[in-house]
Amino acid sequence: MTLSLFNQFLSPSLMWTPLAAIALALPWALFPRQTARWVNNRLLSLQSWFLGQFTQQIFLPINNPGHKWALLLASLMLFLITLNTTGLLPYTFTPTTQLSMNMGFAIPLWLATVILGLWTQPTQALGHLLPEGTPTPLIPVLIIIETISLFIRPIALGVRLTANLTAGHLLIQLISSATSVLLSILPAVATFTITLLFLLTLLEVAVAMIQAYVFVLLLSLYLQENV
Amino acid sequence: MLSRLVFLAGSLKSSGPIGAGLVQASRSLQTSSQSLAPVPPLPEYGGKVRHGLIPEELFQLLYPKTGVTGPYMLGTGLLVYLLSKEIYIINHETIAAITIGTIIVYGVKKFGPSVAAFADKLNEDKMAKAQEAKDVAMSSLTQAIENEKKEQWRVEGRAMLFDAKRNNVAMLLETNYRERLHMVTNEVKRRLDYQIALQHLNRRMQQEHMINWVEKNVIGSITPQQEKESIAKCIADLKVLAKTTQAKAAA
Repeated sequence: MTLSLFNQFLSPSLMWTPLAAIALALPWALFPRQTARWVNNRLLSLQSWFLGQFTQQIFLPINNPGHKWALLLASLMLFLITLNTTGLLPYTFTPTTQLSMNMGFAIPLWLATVILGLWTQPTQALGHLLPEGTPTPLIPVLIIIETISLFIRPIALGVRLTANLTAGHLLIQLISSATSVLLSILPAVATFTITLLFLLTLLEVAVAMIQAYVFVLLLSLYLQENV
Repeated sequence: MLSRLVFLAGSLKSSGPIGAGLVQASRSLQTSSQSLAPVPPLPEYGGKVRHGLIPEELFQLLYPKTGVTGPYMLGTGLLVYLLSKEIYIINHETIAAITIGTIIVYGVKKFGPSVAAFADKLNEDKMAKAQEAKDVAMSSLTQAIENEKKEQWRVEGRAMLFDAKRNNVAMLLETNYRERLHMVTNEVKRRLDYQIALQHLNRRMQQEHMINWVEKNVIGSITPQQEKESIAKCIADLKVLAKTTQAKAAA
């Protein structure tokens, strides 16, 4: 019987050693390194294919100076998608449910895009604060709104990922608790809740992958604006 | 997979943990080109597993002592032990585990073969491209060899070609010579014909001139008296003639 539903999100530690480090190192261990061979096994071929496709898709609309971010964004995507999907397994800790970690990803990367934009092309970067074709009386208001929107971006990035995953995990825990309790009392209702849990888990798998993709996609969009 | 671990362990240079550590320490990781080539071949397929999780080596290990059902009994016994001693407690996570487990198993069973085929196709396409490059190179080289042989055969027939050409030229020359000869004959004949025509003309003109002169002289020599006499004689002759014919006709 859990004391609190949020205990699953506590950063795990074993005798004061933070186990979150092991959880964070898991994606690195799951994907094999590139070999010097020309033809590899299935896992490595699929991995290279996936990374190639993903990088091409994301960087298609970005100018050439932005392509320096390819390694960063591709590895970020792989990292997030692995963390999210492995977090769906039982008894695992999902680091992306921690707001601290997601903000740790969002703020520096967003800030890097903003600074890059202001450094290399300040006029254009500031010009993004006013959309084209706005009527003249609306300009001051719109600039304020756009500035607020600009500064909300990192918070939105971080909180979006955290909230989605936390909510998903929480729901899974709630419904599975309900099922386990109902199994002894009303098994018929338990079948209904287990179906619900089944569908929810399917949704969570999709959400896990989509949220990671959205995170990286938005960062690439911010990069596209500023590079 | 476990067999591969054994293979790796056997390949370490010396026995004992310190020996292995010394070997690894003295050899810096993958800096010399020795580590790149020739690369030992990888096994083509992964280690065999049963039920997608448990390596076949466990079953082979337990087979002599416990037979076919040995590992299953081990698994069941272990599970029951964990449950009964409450080392593993059934809670909400178990239900979540069952759910995600079902989804994973279903996903792997349904999409596994197609994903594997796709990965195999990626590698096959890569190899097919290289193979095609090699095949194209080979076919172009064989084609070049055939072309060369044909050229050599053509060279053999060159003498015949020259003979034919020589014959051609000779015929042209001959024809030209004959034509010129013909032309010369014609020209000469023309000139001679001209001379003959000239002579004919001369003779005819002489004859005509003479005839004209003779006629003129004769007509001139006929005096008017002679003319009357001849006319009267002609009339008398005619009368006589007429009488004779009348007599003949009456008779």
